Amino acid sequence: MRIGVLLAAVALAASACSVQGGSADKSAAAAGYPNKPVEFTVPTDPGGSTDLLTRALAKSIEQPLGVKAVVVNKPGANGKIAGKDVFGSKPDGYRVAVMPQSLFAIGPLMLNDADPVKLTDMTFIKGLAVEDYVLVVPADSKYRTLKDLAGASDVKYGTTGPGTGSQLSQTLLFGLAKTKAAPVPFDGGAPTVTAVLGGKVDAASVQIAEAYKQVQAGKLRALAVFADKRIEAMPDVPTAKESGYDVVVDQRRFIAGPAGLPAEVRDKLAAAVDKAVASPEYNEVLKANYIGRWDADGDAVGTQLNESLKRFEKLAQDLGIDLKAQQ
Amino acid sequence: MDFLSPVIAGFGVVFQPENLFYCLLGVTLGMLVGVLPGLGPAATIAVLLPITYNIEPTAAIIMLAGIFYGAQYGGTITSVLLRLPGEASSVVTAIDGHELARQGRAGSALGIAAIGSFIGGTVAVIGLTFVAPLVAGFALDFGPSEYTALALLGILLITTLGTGSPLKSILMATVGLLLATVGQDPLEGASRLTFGVDQLLDGIDFVIVAMGLFGVGEILYNLESLRRPAAPAAAVGSVYPSRAELGQSKGAITRGSVLGFLLGILPGGGATMSSMVAYAVEKRASKEPDRFGKGAIEGVAGPETANNAAATSSFIPLLTLGIPANATMAIMFGALLIQGIAPGPMLVEEKPDLFWGVVNSMYVGNLLLLAMSMPLIGVFVRILRVRAAILAPLTILVTMIGVYTVRMSVFDMFLMVGLGVLGYLMKKVGFEPGPLVLAFVLGGLLESSFRRSMRIFGGDLTGFLTQPITATLLGVIVLIVLAPPALRLSRRNRQKVKA
Repeated sequence: MRIGVLLAAVALAASACSVQGGSADKSAAAAGYPNKPVEFTVPTDPGGSTDLLTRALAKSIEQPLGVKAVVVNKPGANGKIAGKDVFGSKPDGYRVAVMPQSLFAIGPLMLNDADPVKLTDMTFIKGLAVEDYVLVVPADSKYRTLKDLAGASDVKYGTTGPGTGSQLSQTLLFGLAKTKAAPVPFDGGAPTVTAVLGGKVDAASVQIAEAYKQVQAGKLRALAVFADKRIEAMPDVPTAKESGYDVVVDQRRFIAGPAGLPAEVRDKLAAAVDKAVASPEYNEVLKANYIGRWDADGDAVGTQLNESLKRFEKLAQDLGIDLKAQQ
Repeated sequence: MDFLSPVIAGFGVVFQPENLFYCLLGVTLGMLVGVLPGLGPAATIAVLLPITYNIEPTAAIIMLAGIFYGAQYGGTITSVLLRLPGEASSVVTAIDGHELARQGRAGSALGIAAIGSFIGGTVAVIGLTFVAPLVAGFALDFGPSEYTALALLGILLITTLGTGSPLKSILMATVGLLLATVGQDPLEGASRLTFGVDQLLDGIDFVIVAMGLFGVGEILYNLESLRRPAAPAAAVGSVYPSRAELGQSKGAITRGSVLGFLLGILPGGGATMSSMVAYAVEKRASKEPDRFGKGAIEGVAGPETANNAAATSSFIPLLTLGIPANATMAIMFGALLIQGIAPGPMLVEEKPDLFWGVVNSMYVGNLLLLAMSMPLIGVFVRILRVRAAILAPLTILVTMIGVYTVRMSVFDMFLMVGLGVLGYLMKKVGFEPGPLVLAFVLGGLLESSFRRSMRIFGGDLTGFLTQPITATLLGVIVLIVLAPPALRLSRRNRQKVKA
């Protein structure tokens, strides 16, 4: 029975493909969408927060979409490998990717890349998640508040890598505070947290989930969050803004397909995502990992990425920081 | 004995039929993926992650853990029989293990590896049970400067690994270090030696280098001998190690267990370092170091014991500190998160059933693995009797699939073939791949740790000497380098005095 349906689906897909070009054909293909499994590409290794998020989404989206959802990991180059692969494929709605804001809003400011994934390579489908950054110090650190740290004379701060929100948030913070501070980039969140725990660096900015348990256990002290207002998971931790440093940096994740995705297909996908993110299972995964929901529609995603890029650029300019030299 | 009550309760968890079943399933799967070159435990666990959604957390982690240490048993098999190390931690096993196989002693090599793995694994679980909280801090003491010294020590040991001239080993190690710099600069993100190829941005994966140089290179080299009259098929020999071989390996297994347990706790490269250090230690401890590289059973027993002990002790930072020590542990971390459990310093208190259930399942798992692997060795060594004309293409096929699974990249498959040709040419002119592959593994660690240290010390090299562990390690390096010439000198002086 199952195989029969699958065969029919394949035949249908084949017939849809054999008719080339023409907008009428495009909408015809869209009308039958989806009739085969949809592939969700994750730009990181399995086990990270993007992977968890996408797997939870894929699980909840199968019912509203009516077909299987397959998760594929294509790690590499901060998401560029996955981006180039998926957004270079046919815009038929069967291949989409979950992308990080940092690749578009932070990467271009800090890294030189002659051939990046561009905003125009994508059709934005939906926003998915927002994760905040928290600044932590070892529990036995002499720095008790953000002011203490900003007033220190020689700070070594850990970052989760070049071109990340972790790096940007601290560069801007110490730039605003005019603190003499040097970044020490690590390879991801876990090694960064390890270095803070061991007292190898003075402080580090990491995503909430990466530090939450350590803060709760009293091994790390949270000095500030780089959010607009205090966050639910850590209500006692002030924002950087409250301490007088207006630095708001977060990581957002969204789902996108190749440029030129037919509007009908995009809407169907977006509607299915809406239903999926409302499911209790999905929200449980988010809650367990201190990830916030970002329910922006496709257009709002594009606006957010553009605005973030401009805001970070202007902030750096005002401070007279050359972000590319800040590594 | 309050401390022991949750431990004993943990055995109650393990012996629930469901958990026993998942333990058996895990170790069986682990052994199978260990046998398949390229398909490592990290990839397997990643593939199985979605399945664990619907399994109870303790059972899920018991199964995934079983895959991890089970793969350490299986990994030896291809290293010994086909000279195909699937993991960094079994590279050194290929050196003497494959030599033993050529001499018809594959059974002994695999047998001793299984016994050593069992003992190493069990010793490490006992350590995990009783001293985990005490040694956990060890992982935090290791920062950039300590890793710099450790990697330097490792690279120094490489020169003792080769059987040829030290000069050739150093030359190969240099090539390995150079290959390790391919990809994005770890601190600044600039592209290096990528020639505009995006697939090279994250560097070359270890599996590709090891399987290309060792495995494919070996196969290509052996194809040459096909033209000559066929050599008589190597005898398989007894499956069980002889009493003499057991006696020879006793010391190696003891030392391997301790070394592996301690080094495995270190995040990043712990298991690899442990097998390398174990090999170097055996060679130094041996009364006949010349046998190494020509089929010394201790050269298999030491490293294989050590990497299993290390695999087990690498759970310590994850379970007691919430720090994943390697790629597989990072995925395990993810598996726990999916279950709504965030591993951290509080795990033992918050979820004693899970903690002790998983730890105690490792006793059972190791026993299952030993019971399974001993009779299976006889089946596996029969691979050696398969004609090269059939075995070679089959091995290449499996290797290609294995490489593809690492990053789902076709480019990587071509890269491996290219490295295979390089490995073949190296073998023709008498260069060994061992030093290259190990320097490649350590090169990345050395570079990033050194540069991080320099950032921390504000560019001051003397900063290394202010860190007690780093300074000690550097002292050991100086001793190793200076001791032999100094001894020779003093001997000569004494002779002069006598004369």
